[in-house]
Amino acid sequence: MRDSRWPEGAYAAEFADERHFVGALAMLRDQGYTRLETYTPYPVPRIESALRDPPSVLPGLVFLGGLCGGLFSYWVQWYTNAVSYPLNIGGRPAHAVPAFFIPTFEGTVLSAAVVAFVGLFALLRLPKPWHPMFEIDGFERASIDHFWIAVDATDPRGGTLSQQTLESLDPLRVVRVPATS
Amino acid sequence: MHAHDHDHPPELNRRDFLRLAGASVALAGLDGCSRMPAEHILPYVDSRPELTPGIGSYYATAMSVDGYATGLIVESHEGRPTKIEGNPAHPASLGAAGPIELASVLQLYDPDRGKSARVGSEQVQWERVAANLAPAALRSRVGGRGSGLHLLIEPTSSLLDEELLASVLTAHPDARIYMYSPMLGDGATDAAVQQYDIANADVIVAIDSDFLSTAPFHLRYARQFADNRRLARPTDAMNRLYVVESTFSSTGSAADHRFAVRPREVTTVLRWLLTSVINGDAKTEAPAWIAAIARDLRAHQGRSLVIVGDAQPASIRALGDAINDAIGASGKTTWYTTSPLVGHHVPVHKLADLVGAMDAREVDTLIVIGGNPSYATPRALGFSSLMRAVPNSGYLGLYENETARDARWFVPMSHYLERWGDARAYDGTVSIVQPLVNPLYRSIAPPELYATLAGTSNGGARSYDLLRASWTRRTSGDAETAWSDALQRGVTADAPMSRVAAPTTFPSDTNPFEGTAFEVIYLADPKIHDGSFANNGWLQELPAPLTQLTWGNAGLISPATAHRLNVSDGDIIKLSSGQRALELPALVVPGHADDTVSVHFGYGRTGSESAARDVGADAYALWPAVGARSEAITVTRTGAAQALALAQTQSTGAGRDPVHRATLDAYRASPSSVGQRSGRVLSLYPEAKPPDSNTALQWAMTIDLTTCIGCGACVVGCQSENNIPVIGASEVRNGRSMQWMHVERYFADNGADAAMQPMLCQHCENAPCEYVCPVGATVHSSDGLNEMVYNRCVGTRFCSNNCPYKVRHFNWFDYNKHLSETELMVKNPNVTVRERGVMEKCTFCVQRIREAEIAAGRDGRAPRGTDVQTACQQACPTNAIVFGSLTEPSSEMMRRRNQPRSFAALAELGTEPRVRYLARIRNANPEIHDSR
Amino acid sequence: MTTVPLRRARGDNPVPTAFPAPPDASVLRFDGSDRALTDQLLAPLRGTGVVWWVLFAVSAAGTAVFAFSCWWTVAKGIGAWGNNIPVAWAFAITNFVWWIGIGHAGTFISAFLLLLNQHWRASINRVAEAMTIFALMNAGLFPILHLGRPWFFYWLIPYPATMGVWPNFKSALPWDIAAVTTYLTVSLLFWYAGLVPDLATARDWLDSRLARRIYGIFALGWRGTSTAWRQHRVAMVLLAALATPLVVSVHSVVSLDFAIAQLPGWHSTIFPPYFVVGAIYSGFAMVLLLILPLRHAYRLEQVITERHLDAMAKLTLTMALMLTYAYVVESFVAWYTHDIPERFTYLFERPFGTYAVLFWIMITCNVVVPQVFWWKRNRTSVGVLLAASGAILVGMWLERFIIIVTSLHRDFLPASWHIYRPTWVDFGLLFGSVGFFGFLFLLFVRFVPFIAISEVKRLRHDLGENGGREIGLPHA
Repeated sequence: MRDSRWPEGAYAAEFADERHFVGALAMLRDQGYTRLETYTPYPVPRIESALRDPPSVLPGLVFLGGLCGGLFSYWVQWYTNAVSYPLNIGGRPAHAVPAFFIPTFEGTVLSAAVVAFVGLFALLRLPKPWHPMFEIDGFERASIDHFWIAVDATDPRGGTLSQQTLESLDPLRVVRVPATS
Repeated sequence: MHAHDHDHPPELNRRDFLRLAGASVALAGLDGCSRMPAEHILPYVDSRPELTPGIGSYYATAMSVDGYATGLIVESHEGRPTKIEGNPAHPASLGAAGPIELASVLQLYDPDRGKSARVGSEQVQWERVAANLAPAALRSRVGGRGSGLHLLIEPTSSLLDEELLASVLTAHPDARIYMYSPMLGDGATDAAVQQYDIANADVIVAIDSDFLSTAPFHLRYARQFADNRRLARPTDAMNRLYVVESTFSSTGSAADHRFAVRPREVTTVLRWLLTSVINGDAKTEAPAWIAAIARDLRAHQGRSLVIVGDAQPASIRALGDAINDAIGASGKTTWYTTSPLVGHHVPVHKLADLVGAMDAREVDTLIVIGGNPSYATPRALGFSSLMRAVPNSGYLGLYENETARDARWFVPMSHYLERWGDARAYDGTVSIVQPLVNPLYRSIAPPELYATLAGTSNGGARSYDLLRASWTRRTSGDAETAWSDALQRGVTADAPMSRVAAPTTFPSDTNPFEGTAFEVIYLADPKIHDGSFANNGWLQELPAPLTQLTWGNAGLISPATAHRLNVSDGDIIKLSSGQRALELPALVVPGHADDTVSVHFGYGRTGSESAARDVGADAYALWPAVGARSEAITVTRTGAAQALALAQTQSTGAGRDPVHRATLDAYRASPSSVGQRSGRVLSLYPEAKPPDSNTALQWAMTIDLTTCIGCGACVVGCQSENNIPVIGASEVRNGRSMQWMHVERYFADNGADAAMQPMLCQHCENAPCEYVCPVGATVHSSDGLNEMVYNRCVGTRFCSNNCPYKVRHFNWFDYNKHLSETELMVKNPNVTVRERGVMEKCTFCVQRIREAEIAAGRDGRAPRGTDVQTACQQACPTNAIVFGSLTEPSSEMMRRRNQPRSFAALAELGTEPRVRYLARIRNANPEIHDSR
Repeated sequence: MTTVPLRRARGDNPVPTAFPAPPDASVLRFDGSDRALTDQLLAPLRGTGVVWWVLFAVSAAGTAVFAFSCWWTVAKGIGAWGNNIPVAWAFAITNFVWWIGIGHAGTFISAFLLLLNQHWRASINRVAEAMTIFALMNAGLFPILHLGRPWFFYWLIPYPATMGVWPNFKSALPWDIAAVTTYLTVSLLFWYAGLVPDLATARDWLDSRLARRIYGIFALGWRGTSTAWRQHRVAMVLLAALATPLVVSVHSVVSLDFAIAQLPGWHSTIFPPYFVVGAIYSGFAMVLLLILPLRHAYRLEQVITERHLDAMAKLTLTMALMLTYAYVVESFVAWYTHDIPERFTYLFERPFGTYAVLFWIMITCNVVVPQVFWWKRNRTSVGVLLAASGAILVGMWLERFIIIVTSLHRDFLPASWHIYRPTWVDFGLLFGSVGFFGFLFLLFVRFVPFIAISEVKRLRHDLGENGGREIGLPHA
């Protein structure tokens, strides 16, 4: 995530209203700020238009995971029942294709789902119990009803200017955030 | 505790307290090989391979029921007899064995058996008792000529016994000997017995006679009967059996025409038959069917036969003799011989005389040898109380039963597998009874008691010495060779009984009772006989032929009577006549005679036999008199009910016709029509490839439903061979029967016919059980066996759900957990004892197959299909079951399998079973339409 | 880190009055601030009333019964149950299928409806998902307990054993294991992934230091950055897309446990869809049974509105009709085959045979009762909904019992027919498992945000900013 590395800390502004917050974000964007991060209690779609993130790689990972899972499941059945220890079971062939479909399907879904879950938190660099933002008094409301914008102190456009820029957006307050260690 | 009942069957539970006793004795001396008898016993020698499956050693001996011996071969492992087979060389067996013989090995190990002698309540050594029985000691009690000495013996045909009894009489000239068995009634001491030659009878009429499954010599009769109806080709000749009876018997189920009549109608039927036979087609008042039978009998002059049951009074059996004379049967298919039972050299008296003597206080010393008169006599006789009144009463028996309770002193009797002796078959053939094991407890054999009474021994005499002595006396020539030959073959060279003229009894012309509402008929139980085998779990749990009832008896009634009494299965009915009364559950049997109740003897025991106690109702309480077959009775509904332990709850095939049936004429008309329905089914998978006959034999079985009489010998044979546990009445009621073999029974809707279908694992080529098992615990072997891998089974029971034949059985509990030390010894060491939570089922006796293959390998030859006999096949009296390999077209199994009437059960499911059945063909008399 | 009590913060974030939530067809009628909404939705985390404790005690007792019955079964053997041959499966498998079926509604609501953009699900999906997980936990116990030798259950899983033996994948049971474990795992992941933002809210909202720590650990340090929200949404949609086929597949596989057998009454090609419909049917009934008391207890009428009840009732009615169709078809096919055992099972044994009474109760509960939902008054009446849901749950249990037991106890050969009678252990396991389910659910209600707070907030602001035109959650 963009806020996982702040060598010199950041400047954060708190907003109480979603539309106000979104407007402020757009304004920063227009002024050429690039190293921005937002904190919201619920997903705000219009942030994305403002921040222009690259598309997620998760779908690709999940597809690969599913593929491997499916192939492995079929291989296990084929190897165990037809190669390693074939038996005459009710006069059926040892390599019983129709019967092997179902576990193959389940194996596909299972591994795909596991990849999706693990992949999600891997991409988010979670779990990560501590973050400088947590040091701000009242940041709790970022998960309840308030909205935060943080500007990396090393932002080429901003630097010390960021403080004033943020102030000019009429937030509830602006705070200095310590560096990430 | 309620849950305790679920834990394990109460029968075994109650037995627990005896385990310590059993164990201590067992540990005292049951250590493997040391149990071989000290005397030199000789193994059965016969080169026929099918007689030596398994590595156990085999010995010939004989078991007597009511004094009539059946020759047996006993399999023994490390000195432990484990399995009974029939002796092919013995006329009463011809290689087969009945349920009672097969189960007798379990009786040997019964932990309830009497374990030590006692006087009063004090345990003593036999020698102590013997000291008081020496002539000198005894004369002081019973007088110089021994007039106070009375011996009541169970029927015996032993030459040795007769010799020794004679010497007892020399020591005590006025002593009296009585012989009694409820089944022989007072006929026990008859001078002559009737013999039959079923092999040469084309038309047989059996009247109130279950000669195929309970009468003496029944194994031989069944084999001869079946041999004349094998129908290798549709055109082959087939004998015809008419059965006239009240209670649906195995013989009745084998009949081509069966007529249910009330007991009192038997005389009428016989008289009608007699007149019709004599008057020929001259008009008689006899019903059409009787006239038709008479014509059939006359048409086969000399090759026909009328059998009247032994239980019928002599005056009625005389009518049968008259008919046999008229149809030229006498002397050809039936004749009389002197009785093989003792009584020719010593006077033997009837029970009634003993009762009279006891009443008159003439009895000082009464010694009961075997039997159980305190229980197995009409309660009205008051034998029990009379015996208690006898100053010095003793009992020599297997169990501390009702009689032992009435006796002042008791001495345990040796089981026949523990003792030396000899016995005659029904036709008089003599066999040596040789022991397989030393007595498990401190027991003695009757000869040792007789010798003591006679004073020829002071209790120390051993039956072996007595027997050898008597043998040498009566054997001309080389006694030694004759002896070893007799031991090895199981039969001696002694001549059978000689023919005599028919006893002259005048045929009765009065019916015993007229116009009564209900009649009761008293029968020997097909499983526990007169009650002597009531403590045998294998027999108690064996579904009774036709009724499928286990663990108990019931009042058998016809559907019409049930309707009239407004009772159904399990409702308690009360039978009463004067002071005598009996309450027992009703059981509705299609084809039973109307207004008649059948009750079987042997239940309601109160002795120390824990498994037998409180099982069923005691018919002796109602029995009016020794020898009574039936009587008028009042039947009332009590309103109470009791759940019966039925092994099968449905009586008919519910319109599904699992057993293919046809009349002989229909079969001949179009043989293919009765055969197998095609079993092709669509599948996603390629066609299963046919068995590869090059790599291995392909095992298969054919069962002939025309000759199966449903006697249940196969079930007990299987139970004994495969270590199948006994689970008790409550578990049977829960539908958890463990027997791998179940003789399924389907009544025709009108009850006139009952078809038997022995159902076992069908070993399907496309086994439905196999593909549903998640762990591959049941798979197919290269020689076509459907294998059950106990160690791999996790117990999902999916296989049972998908088995259309329901031949798989589940170990709901650990059924072997509560066996006593002795009971464990009966287990077959070649068969796994299954643990809790696994499935089990018929394996085609795979242990015998592998043994045979190994043996063949030792002889350096390829195994043959005929090398193996399964336990069920070996036991079957009618040879209805044959086993072999599909790769041997000339084998009997394949010749039967290729008959047009062979069919696969539920063939339409496409399971391709390895077991095939031969359709049930009845040789119907076209003149008769009203079988009832 | 130092904390700041909320009261010291300045200003709240009111819903813009310019955009009132539309009165018609509203799925959210909350008119307080976001914080008020949060306060209300998280209230249970601060403690619960006496009712909760009473219910908790009852369910705990039920759980004890369950545990004892399980122990008894393992100690004594399956013989402690009423099962026999031919009825080798009965209560335990019925319970298994019943619970699995109930589980389906959760995934259906949260995944299927998410894909279909049915945003009204927002306020009930968490409860539904939790129900799924607890139902599956119950269901999973039964097949293992049901084994003759449960300590060897792992033999059904392919692992390299010293004997070189493997499971047999031609059997439906390994399929079952694959299906159920997959379903349970995916449901858990889906549930937890969706839960993380709300755990973060709980972390920030609670006062006690310990509580903050604990919720903080489970929140994984979530701070609602834009990237996090975007990836999170993508992941949720992907998981939903994966879970949706499971809704169809799991009960189809369960139905194959019966359909691959050749037993009349089991061997039927319509089983997979038939079972899936029945599963979702019973699941919806259970959701209603859980939602309605919650709604009342925590005053959630504004979050779980009549609109939800109406929609659920309509779906229930639809399922009822589909199920009725299945009943009719299987009987018709049985008649059409002219096969004696088939006809006997469907046309005689079930409607008129040993268990006929249960059959007619089932028909009443599953076919007749839901017809009340043709009337809108009933669709929104809490009383009617509760009663109908209860009836449907009973009916669906009976349906599985009838499929399993009536088919087995009258199979091909009349000689093997035998009646089945359950024992106290069977009933102990059935009612005990219900207690265990309630036990888990009450704990969930007490300690986990049982309504998706962030989704609800998103939803009300969409409604607000779009003049009441309903918009679902945006896609990735």
